[in-house]
Formats: sequence, structure tokens, C-alpha cells
Amino acid sequence: MRQTHFVAVLAIICALVWIITAIHPVDRQAWVLENILVVIFVAALAFTHRRLQLSNSSYLFIVLFLLLHMVGAHYTYAKMPLGLWAKDFFGFSRNHFDRVAHFGFGFVLAFPVRELLLRFSGIRRGWSFWIAAGVILAVGGLFEILESMVAEIVAPGKGVDWLGGQGDEWDAQNDMLSAFLGALAMMAAVALTTCKEPRT
Amino acid sequence: MKLFRDRFLVVALIIYVIFWIALAISPSDRGDWFLENLLIFISVAVLAVTYRKFQFTNLSYALILVFLVFHTIGAHYTYAKVPAGFWLQDWLHLKRNHYDRVIHFAFGFLLVYPMSELLVRSARVKETWAPWLAAAALCALSSFFEILEGIIAQIVRPDLGAAYLGTQGDIWDAQKDMGCAFIGAMLVATWLTIGRGMRPGQG
Repeated sequence: MRQTHFVAVLAIICALVWIITAIHPVDRQAWVLENILVVIFVAALAFTHRRLQLSNSSYLFIVLFLLLHMVGAHYTYAKMPLGLWAKDFFGFSRNHFDRVAHFGFGFVLAFPVRELLLRFSGIRRGWSFWIAAGVILAVGGLFEILESMVAEIVAPGKGVDWLGGQGDEWDAQNDMLSAFLGALAMMAAVALTTCKEPRT
Repeated sequence: MKLFRDRFLVVALIIYVIFWIALAISPSDRGDWFLENLLIFISVAVLAVTYRKFQFTNLSYALILVFLVFHTIGAHYTYAKVPAGFWLQDWLHLKRNHYDRVIHFAFGFLLVYPMSELLVRSARVKETWAPWLAAAALCALSSFFEILEGIIAQIVRPDLGAAYLGTQGDIWDAQKDMGCAFIGAMLVATWLTIGRGMRPGQG
């Protein structure tokens, strides 16, 4: 399939899922806040598509992350049914769907980040794995900072629980760790399955 | 040895070691001092082992040592009780001792240059990209440090929770610590990008 067709199909899937998840979300305010991320992300991709032309794999990974986030935003992460089921089934203390999403964030987005680094920064192959995972961890940290600022503005005093921390004192740390582990898992997978690519 | 030909580094190291010994004598809390010093032992060991393969410029070594000096002071008094932090608290009428925040800022501010140099010379990153990737790397290290802190606190004193980390009652302590490092790193990355005269790896 030609790349433009592939990207168009992905965009259509994204739009359909977005419309479905936009209908009667569990909490409209939380849904709007979470969707700011989607809007910024999609706008950035649309504007850069012509110049960047990421690989099909990268676009597929990015869309997987967007779909995961749309589902999370629809249910508010703490009330995602699959996570509630896992909580009962395995006897977890909380709904871990947000952790899965953080892991997924690191796992799928480390790939496009590394692709950008290899294409534009001139980085060596060996370093690219670590710096890509580092960029993911940095973005994860930045996201936790932004989250805390939004929480203080929208719901001052309610603290971590408003963010879906569900009583976890180390919520920020565990979120960041999940993203980092996801990125490391993807980088390990790429390092083990690709032979030395020529420098571009 | 190659090291002894670099007079600047030898002198700086000797000064630092004397300073470190002076502050190793009767710290406020020996257990805390030891934990904080793990960072110093690890970073000095890594720099020593990699010295043969990779030498930073003197400016980078100086910046790293300045950061270690700040950290050594923090380890001696425990961060929440550093006198300089109390002066700052009285002077600016702050609610808490902000020495730890200053050091988190310094972490980003002082170490972007050496990291940038490492990325240019060892990872072959383009000079336009290096300051920003270095800033990202330091933000990542800062986040990683908060994760490690959380794990250590849970192992050493599970009963105390986040209070063990000197959060001084702030629920957003981790976020603010990282924020300080991020701002410090971004400032220097911007500075290095605007002032092209200071090119890491050529100074």
C-alpha cells in the first residue's frame, strides 16, 4: 500500500474512534482536558506530515497510542472497564489501566522518536536507543509536571486523587517508571531484531 | 599517567577531595549522608573509568565538580537543613528550606554543557541538536532520580512514605524538583543555541 493511502486509512480509523469515544464520556470535563493532548498531537502530525514523512510503522505506533488515549479519556482512566475487571480478577488495589497506558506511551512512541533522531540528529546507532528512551522519560516527567499544574488550577487542594492517582502516594513515580520501562522494552526489541542500519 | 598532565583537573580534584573529607566529618545524619554520597561515588567512578576513552574539557569538569560541591554540602547537612537554605528562607520569607530546589535547578543548569559535549563528541550528534538532546537527557535523569528516590524510600522507611525524602509536606515535591531541573536545563540549552560562541566539544 502506498504511504499516503496507509496514513489516510489510519486517519479515518482515528476519526471514527474519536467520534465514538466523544459520545457520552464518563466525565465531560476530564474528557476535554485529556483531548487537548489529542488535538495538539494530531495538529503537529498534520503540519509536519509533508516534511517529515515518517515510516508507516511510526505512524501505526502513533495511532495505537492515540487510540489507547481516546479510550482512556472516554472512561476517565480510573474507570476503564477492562482495568476494573483486572482489579477484581487479580485483586489489585487500584485500576491499573493508566499504568498500562503510560507503558504503552513509552512502548509505541520510543520508535518514532528514535526514527526522528536517526534521520535528523546524526546520532550513532548505539546511542540512539538510550537517547530515545531518555526523551520518552523526559516527556513523561514533563507530563507529570503539567498534570500537577492543571490539577492545582482546576481542582486546588484535591491533589493526586483528582489526577486518578487512586490513593497511590508514588503515582507520579510509578507513571514515569511505566513509560520508561515501555520505552526500554521497545528499544530492546528494535535493537535485537534489526541489524546495523546504514547511517542516514 | 595521562591524568597528571592535566594540571587543572588535578588541582580541582585535590581541592574537591579536601572539601569532601572536611564535610565527611560528623554529618548531620550518617545514614542519609551515605545514601546521598552513593551518587558521588558512582559519578566519580564512572568519570574515572571512562577517562582513558573520553576526556571532557576543563570547563565541563569544572561544572561537574561545582555540582558535586553543592551536593556534598547538601549531604553533610541533609538537604532540608542546609544553613544557606535557611538564610534564603528568612530573606525571601519562604515557607520551607529551598536548598534542594536550588540544587535540582543547578543539576539541569550546570550539567547540560558537559552532556552536550558528550553527545557531540561521542554520540556524533549535530551541534544544533546537542543542547536540546542534552537537556532532554538531564530531564530524563532528573525523572529517573525521582523514581529511584521513591523506590529507596519505600525500601528504607516504608512507614514514613514521601516524608522520608525531605518533601517537607509538599504533595507536588517530585513535580517541583523535576520542574527546577527542567527549567535549568532549558535555560542553558537556549543559551547554547543563541550564543553559538560556546560550542560544546570545542572549548
